[in-house]
Amino acid sequence: MRGWNDSSLRTKIFIAFSVLILAVLLATLGLTQLVVSRSVEATLGRELQTTGQVFQSLMEERAARLRTNSTLLASDFALKRVIATHFDPVNYDPATLASAGLSYRQRIGVELVWMTDEAGRLLAASPANARVKQSIARLSPLSEALESEEATTAVVQIDDGLYQVVAVPVFAPDVIGFLLLGRTIDDAVAAQLKADTGSQITFLTPTRVFASSWSGPRRNMLAVSRPQPAGPPRPYLANIDGERFLSLAMPIDAGVPQLHALVQGSYDEALAPLHALQGRMLLIGIVALAAALLIGISLAAGIIRPVRALVSAMHTVLRGDLRHHAQVDRGDEIGFLARSFNEMVDGLQEREHIKNTFGRFVSRDVAEAVLDGRIPLGGERLEVSILFQDIRGFTALSEKLDPGTLLRVLNQLFTEVVAAVEAEGGMVKQFTGDGVMALFGAPQVRADHCERAVRAALGIVDRLTNVNVLLQSQGVPALQIGVGLHTGEVVAGLIGPDERVEYGVVGEPVNLASRVEGLTRDLAATILISKEIAAHLGPQFLLGRAALLPVKGRAQPVEVVEVLGHQAPDNTELPGPA
Amino acid sequence: MHRHNYQRILFVAAALLLVRPAAAEPSISGTVTGADGKGIADAVVFVLAPTPPAASHVAPQVVDQIGKAFVPELLPVVVGTLVRFPNHDQIHHHVYSFSPAKTFELPLYKGEDAPPVLFDKVGVVKIGCNIHDWMAGIILVLPTPHFTVTDPEGRFTLRDLPAGTYTLSAWHALSKLKPEDSAQSVQLSQDAAQVAFTLSLSAARPRRAMHGARVEP
Repeated sequence: MRGWNDSSLRTKIFIAFSVLILAVLLATLGLTQLVVSRSVEATLGRELQTTGQVFQSLMEERAARLRTNSTLLASDFALKRVIATHFDPVNYDPATLASAGLSYRQRIGVELVWMTDEAGRLLAASPANARVKQSIARLSPLSEALESEEATTAVVQIDDGLYQVVAVPVFAPDVIGFLLLGRTIDDAVAAQLKADTGSQITFLTPTRVFASSWSGPRRNMLAVSRPQPAGPPRPYLANIDGERFLSLAMPIDAGVPQLHALVQGSYDEALAPLHALQGRMLLIGIVALAAALLIGISLAAGIIRPVRALVSAMHTVLRGDLRHHAQVDRGDEIGFLARSFNEMVDGLQEREHIKNTFGRFVSRDVAEAVLDGRIPLGGERLEVSILFQDIRGFTALSEKLDPGTLLRVLNQLFTEVVAAVEAEGGMVKQFTGDGVMALFGAPQVRADHCERAVRAALGIVDRLTNVNVLLQSQGVPALQIGVGLHTGEVVAGLIGPDERVEYGVVGEPVNLASRVEGLTRDLAATILISKEIAAHLGPQFLLGRAALLPVKGRAQPVEVVEVLGHQAPDNTELPGPA
Repeated sequence: MHRHNYQRILFVAAALLLVRPAAAEPSISGTVTGADGKGIADAVVFVLAPTPPAASHVAPQVVDQIGKAFVPELLPVVVGTLVRFPNHDQIHHHVYSFSPAKTFELPLYKGEDAPPVLFDKVGVVKIGCNIHDWMAGIILVLPTPHFTVTDPEGRFTLRDLPAGTYTLSAWHALSKLKPEDSAQSVQLSQDAAQVAFTLSLSAARPRRAMHGARVEP
């Protein structure tokens, strides 16, 4: 299975097609062989039976004709006279009788004419025979005719030949003798039967072939060696000179023991159309296999080429080129795959574009929240905490430091501020030159946004110590900052034209938070929070002074509280005042 | 046929009337039976020996042809008898025999034209008609004028024999026995003698289809 999995698509297609074609081919060949050979056997068997029946009826017809001829001849008064000569030793002349027999042979077209006296003694024979003057009373069919005094027929062997013989009594008016007429069963008869039926026919005993339609050496290869079962003869296959013949051995009732008419038809010849068909099917199979190979190659090429192109496109995309597209010029599954890939790349490209666009203005949190659909594009009202941080005396500092140092100082500070804000899950909303505005509770809604904002403020103050140590080592004076916090309901959402869109919040709480940060200078405090924030803080926060102060743009004064530190549950160290 | 029988009866009656006054001549009577004990009709019983010297005059006999058949079909005659073969049919007949005892031929003829045939040799003469295969008859040529034919019950009586010792024989067309083989010696004195013959007959040849014409009108 591993070999199969590892083999190429081309090999797989070829093997699959080949297995299918071979299976179909073999099944077809086998089935054809079975059906056709059975049919051929049955047809050939019927032909042989027909030949046998034709032979039987030919023999019967010949016998009937012989009987008619012999009966007519036996009634001939001249014949009676001729035969009656045997009663008189003076007139008995075998030569005359034989010549009369020759005349009869020519008259009725038979090959044998014998005449006997009333007891079965052979008086004369044409052609000449050594048994003249001897008794042939025991020779069939004369023996039966002697008994019945009627015409009888039989197939007998006379000398070397096979004859169909009729014996008929000669009445004058009682039996004065017998007339025997015979027709040979020779090669000509067999040839005629073969011409009539198409089957080879042979008259033979297990030891001798009397007549046959075969010629040449095959004639001598015949034998009825097969034991013949009782009942009607059944066809069997005989191999003659390398060719198979369906053979039917039909016993002939004759005075010759085990005489058979062996009827044969070539099995191989009958199967020749099948073999031709099978040859053509094999040829078709080979062509189909070659076609399978070509189809496998072209199909595989048709699949592999676009797959390689797709893989190449994937590698290009993997290297970061999200504008790259796979070439699609087909409507099948491969085309679907390529289109899906291109759609995926388009999707990736768009997300990347959005991320890039947002990333410049909003935090990664916001960008992801927008992309994930967590921020409704229509805006929403949220309860948030707003943190403002500012550097004290920045204007004086900026005049003292060269621009490079100034930016480096700012960046060092902002790095720490961003880290502190993000550590508490807040979002740096914007840099305000020397300060930072941060949001807690938006875009990610957090129930404890007030505490998070205060912990972030404490974190900023805490990290500032490290920054100052570093700055002082570089000869820069320590920075002092103020952090103001407020909480309240704002409208949050995406603000700005498409290319400059950013996440932001608007509302009075934002302005008030900025005012609270401004109050740090007045109170000389580092962290100031509004009363609304303080109301949400737990007891772990150390609060300092509280004051009710008027602010610009508000009729009501604002109540603020100084934050001194934070008693963390896992931290026994008290944070000192900034 | 009726006419013929009538003639025969008249002839026999006349003979009896003539012979009766000189009666007291001894006769030999008896039966011819088959193996099954039944009487055999149409068997010929005759004196085989001693044979009398040839008679100077023998009465001619007749085998008629009536209705395409020989009448009678069996005619025993003493050797030297002339037999006429008148044809009382309206058609021709061609009477012949190939029997060694008498081979003759009376080519196609009608009426009384055929010359008489002299049967001068003892033996069985089987006669036939060349143009009617079924016509068959036998003329039994005997060495003696003393013969008779059994009646339907197989009984016979030989008359007109002087007293003496005779060898009698019985013959039948279907018997394979030669006359010598059935011969019996009989002592004939003043009284009548009794002889019983037993013959085994071969089965009569079944009449072939063409023989059926024998009964055609």
